[in-house]
Amino acid sequence: SSHEYKLNFKKSKEACLSYIQDAMLQKQWKRAAEFLTFYIEALEKDFSREYMGPSEIVWRIGTEILCHHSHSSMKEFNSFIEQMKPLGVKRYLKVCLEHAFRLLCNGLIDEAYQNLSLAESWRYGEQPTIQDKEMKLIQAYGGLLDYCSWSKQKNILLEHGQDGLEDLSVEQEMHSCFRKAAMNLKEIIKVPGIWDQFVKCYVDLLEFYGDHNEARQVLNEYAYNSKFPANPNAHVYLYQFLKRHGESKKSLLSVLKILHDIVPSHELMIDFNIMLQKSKKRKKRQLGLEVIFAVLDYAGWKENVKAWSCLARQVKQIVSSEKHLDWIKQEWNPRKDWWPAFHFTHYLAKKNWQENESLSYEKALVAGILLGKDCKYFKYVSRQGCKAQVKRFRILKKFVNKHNPIYLRIS
Amino acid sequence: MEFPAALFPAHFGTGPPREEGGPAPAAGWGEHGQVLGALRGRRQARTTFIPRSGGTGESWEAADAAAVPLLPPNASSWVPSLAPQDILHRGVLRRKLQAGSCEAALDFTKQLSHFFVDHPEDAFGSLGQLLHQNFFLGDSQLRRKARECTIRMTALREDIDCLDARRGCPRQNLVPRLRWFSHLSRDWLFEVPLGVLADCVHEDLLLQWGSLLFNDSPTGGALAFLPPKDTRARTGCLVYPGGQAMNHLYFQDVVLEELPSAQGSPAQFELNGRIWQVAAARVDGEGEPAPGFIPWGAGGFPECCHLTCCFHSLPDFVGIRSDYHCGVWKVPGRTGAPPTPLQVIRTSLPASCLTVSPHLPGELAVCTQSGAIYLWSVETGLQRLRRDPQTMFFRDHSPWRWSDFTAHPRVLSCADRTGLQCLDTRAPERCHLDLFKVGEEAGCQQGERVVLPMYLGRANPSQHLVTTQFSVYVLDERLPLVPVLKWAHMMKAPPLFAHLAPGGPGRSHKVLLGTSRTQELLLLQYQGNFGRVFSTGGSQSACQLAGLPQKLHSISGCLQHLPTELPHQQHLLQQRLSVPAAGLAAVLQKDGLRESLLVFQLSEAGDVFCQRLTHRAAARPPTPTPGDGAAAAPGSSPLFDEPASSPQSSAECPQEPRGSHQPSPAASLRYRRWLKAFSKGCRDPPRPPTFGQKRLFTRKELQEPPAPSTQQRQARQRLRQAMRDGGCIQRWDPLPSALPEPPEPVEEPEDPLSTRLTAAWCGDWARWWEERSSSSLARRQQALRERRWRQKRARGRRSLSASFTSSLTYQSELSEHSDFPTLPLSPVLRGGVSPPAATLPLPTPSSPPPHEALRSSQSLSSRGIPKERRKTLRDYLAVCGDGPPELPASQASQAC
Repeated sequence: SSHEYKLNFKKSKEACLSYIQDAMLQKQWKRAAEFLTFYIEALEKDFSREYMGPSEIVWRIGTEILCHHSHSSMKEFNSFIEQMKPLGVKRYLKVCLEHAFRLLCNGLIDEAYQNLSLAESWRYGEQPTIQDKEMKLIQAYGGLLDYCSWSKQKNILLEHGQDGLEDLSVEQEMHSCFRKAAMNLKEIIKVPGIWDQFVKCYVDLLEFYGDHNEARQVLNEYAYNSKFPANPNAHVYLYQFLKRHGESKKSLLSVLKILHDIVPSHELMIDFNIMLQKSKKRKKRQLGLEVIFAVLDYAGWKENVKAWSCLARQVKQIVSSEKHLDWIKQEWNPRKDWWPAFHFTHYLAKKNWQENESLSYEKALVAGILLGKDCKYFKYVSRQGCKAQVKRFRILKKFVNKHNPIYLRIS
Repeated sequence: MEFPAALFPAHFGTGPPREEGGPAPAAGWGEHGQVLGALRGRRQARTTFIPRSGGTGESWEAADAAAVPLLPPNASSWVPSLAPQDILHRGVLRRKLQAGSCEAALDFTKQLSHFFVDHPEDAFGSLGQLLHQNFFLGDSQLRRKARECTIRMTALREDIDCLDARRGCPRQNLVPRLRWFSHLSRDWLFEVPLGVLADCVHEDLLLQWGSLLFNDSPTGGALAFLPPKDTRARTGCLVYPGGQAMNHLYFQDVVLEELPSAQGSPAQFELNGRIWQVAAARVDGEGEPAPGFIPWGAGGFPECCHLTCCFHSLPDFVGIRSDYHCGVWKVPGRTGAPPTPLQVIRTSLPASCLTVSPHLPGELAVCTQSGAIYLWSVETGLQRLRRDPQTMFFRDHSPWRWSDFTAHPRVLSCADRTGLQCLDTRAPERCHLDLFKVGEEAGCQQGERVVLPMYLGRANPSQHLVTTQFSVYVLDERLPLVPVLKWAHMMKAPPLFAHLAPGGPGRSHKVLLGTSRTQELLLLQYQGNFGRVFSTGGSQSACQLAGLPQKLHSISGCLQHLPTELPHQQHLLQQRLSVPAAGLAAVLQKDGLRESLLVFQLSEAGDVFCQRLTHRAAARPPTPTPGDGAAAAPGSSPLFDEPASSPQSSAECPQEPRGSHQPSPAASLRYRRWLKAFSKGCRDPPRPPTFGQKRLFTRKELQEPPAPSTQQRQARQRLRQAMRDGGCIQRWDPLPSALPEPPEPVEEPEDPLSTRLTAAWCGDWARWWEERSSSSLARRQQALRERRWRQKRARGRRSLSASFTSSLTYQSELSEHSDFPTLPLSPVLRGGVSPPAATLPLPTPSSPPPHEALRSSQSLSSRGIPKERRKTLRDYLAVCGDGPPELPASQASQAC
């Protein structure tokens, strides 16, 4: 009966697919290709109403095999994809996009551009609007490639400009590239998402043509629009833009303050701390201490000399002036039950001393002040340092001994 | 760790997942996902693009043809776990149900009937005793008078047998008698109300079925490998459960040779629960000086040696999770030092997660099925961070919770099936951050659920892995909700186990995923630090999948390499090798230039297998390059042409691994040894435990006393005499206190209630009622009779022959004896087991007196009572000899 036939056909199809899968997972491309030639029959009698139909399976598996099979070439790959494109209308733009990605990764940028523009002009009833996401991406990648050729021509012009030659046609082409790129990139940036490279390119274009207001607006929107994900890079780009254009310290600090609230462990926090330490306002210096303590809470910063030296410098400053000891106390109190086991163990003292002497110096200073001169970390490092006749360790020991009562006051 | 300067483009949506879900067999292939361009320098016009997935990765190859057993088979006999056919309907009903819907049909009635047969006492205990007069077990027709209040059980049984025989027959009608009986008795026959009982059985059946479909208890895996403290050392420690109930914890030293092997005997701990999870972490913050510990031959350089030995003396903390207990062990860094248990906690609901902190020594995260999450510190105890039976983002019925550590030692991640949150332990109510949500944010599919989260701290301090039944995600704490990597893993079951082997700078990180039921093992590579390629884009590049996923050997795959056995043993072996996996561990080993990854896998039967993957440094998968179409053989389109003949083509493709090569001689030796030990274990059937005499008694006790006492001598004499006469000894003359004296009946019962309760407790409530209903005169008469009987008995009979001569007296004695108050009735009724012969002073008459025909074997068999029940019945009758004229049927006799 036909039901049984369908059932058997389905079963053998599934078995064949699992053989292919098995071969691919063991990198036996030849075997997988042989099985796929049988599986292609499944395309003819596609009864399935499943989530992923055979045409998509053939597209995916065929692509993978052709990319790894020793006998395949880009030409064959292109012809395979061209055959796959009309098989699934619902996936047309996705296949086009992936095809363009393959070409891009193989360095075939012109072919990829052609493919993208072809896909952009595809019309098939309602489909282009349904596959809106893919369409937006196709336009954006088109814009990105326009930007690439724009920057190529810009470089040519700049080089020629140095030679004192002017090339009008190149300049015209460059401007047309700019217009296309700007139009396409502007579109995708409006949609919520992560568009780091598109934003960067668009801002670069705008900056080149002197449209700083637009650039700032784009970056502000990208960083502060609540519909967008909390992307630290958006804040970084804004900060870098403001810094490039010599904006006031206040606006820079406010950008970094927001970044600190989102990602307290970001690497820009070192810059933030340095800027705050230099500030004359007490509140800002206190915030600086807070920022650097928060940075060192994170495991990724555990052995970062820069961060430790920032903390050591600020702590040393506070201790020697004997003002604002309460700041240290405020930061130290919630940490004193776990920082010793996290940062200042005997084992870490040995390890830091052997691997990075300056790290152990900065850490020993902090440990000596926060935990007193009897702390394991300080004791070990200062002893080793004095033994090795390093001058700064001797000074360190003297400093900590002198300010030893402080640790009683902060704890 | 720096944040990547640019991330791969991604759309961001909010709300529930829109994409329709389903198992997609090839979803992970053929996709780059996104590409990221990098302009090389300001002057360089050339742009290069890197793909998010499908880039090139390292080449790792299996060194052997299949997984090799690491340890001998788990010694004790192994009980196969529940199989679907045990609780599913078979036969017509199943087919009928399957045609209607795809739901599984659980055989509810079978389970219920199992309960009635296995626990008759709990099911019908007291009513059975009350009603035994109204059931007739015999074969004969009932007399008219008796028929009014008695049911003939044999007829009912016949009907039931008929029903069984006709099972599967489409014209199956219920026999009216059965229907009548069930109508009559359904409401009162059962000790436990049938509705309540059925609810419980049904609930349990659903639970069992649920755990057959997906059992989340082994999440995380019960295998851990503590790598050598020194990279040059080759001895690590494998921590795994074993024993018949998987409740023994072993710490086994393993030497990492070509074929890893166990060294010495393992340290062993017996726990009182099945071990579901073994979690281990090494905390580099813990520095334990080892005072006075100087290794061998280091006398000359105590300081230096002390230093190096301290350097490698980081202890490992090992957390063990069973259903209601969690424990933490400390394995000292020094080799050879025994592991020490530190603390155990008990939970009132099963624990679902236990993870060990990689930051601070002796800190663990525990979750229970009540939705509670605890931070467990060995020093300060438990701190509850959250207790919420509801799931976080949308409603899901699963009580499973998970928790792990994050880049901040004071922040924990907590997960349920709907997503992941970060929770600050300093202010758990206020501070939390949504890290992952099953929804449009991460581009999930409908019906997707979190299966296993894992902190990837050793690769990148702020990254987490989340697996679902469809995909794997890599998340960055600094970029919440949007996964930095997503890939459809295409595994047939949800990956319950994961292991990370971090790669150094410029190398890829390796992630192993393992499933339980299907034993699948998948090796993935991803890259998060890519300093060399993108000098302009910051030192840290966006996370990308490197290379292709690779399937590793499963345990069941080694069946074809084991020597062939007899069919039934082959079947046993196959069954044993294909049990679900229970854990996964791996270790990267560097041996000069050669680098290899050793993967250990544990099965639910407690067997540990291992395999080695070796790194091929120079290998690079071929990528299609522009214009190499001419270079390829003419007409060699691999997809549309006739398949090339295999033997030649395999020689042409050197990088294609051979499909089935033979195991190395060392591996085959392992297989043979393992099989030998396994079949030896199979041959010995499980025996009841035996005790050696030497242990029970001391030598002194076993020694013969110098001379028998007079009592003994007499007893021996009598024994010999009795043997000569062929009789039996009724009672030893000087009455030994072999029978414990029954408690003296209280002369004056203080109140009727307590006597009634006492009677009910002893199980002869019915008799109590009779007694009560009869007059006090009767009681006095009975007491008189008793006394007379005792006097008679004191005279006794010495041999069996005597009983022939006085059979009449004997019978009357017996009827009196039935009222003997000290004889416990309950054991006879309860267990359906005859009391030991010594307690019944009743010789079996070889020729029955006329009205004793009931007790003879012939008469019983003529009544259709099975042979094995006759004795029980006889004993029973002996006890209630004076009872009703009909044969009483008890529930107990039915059960035996």
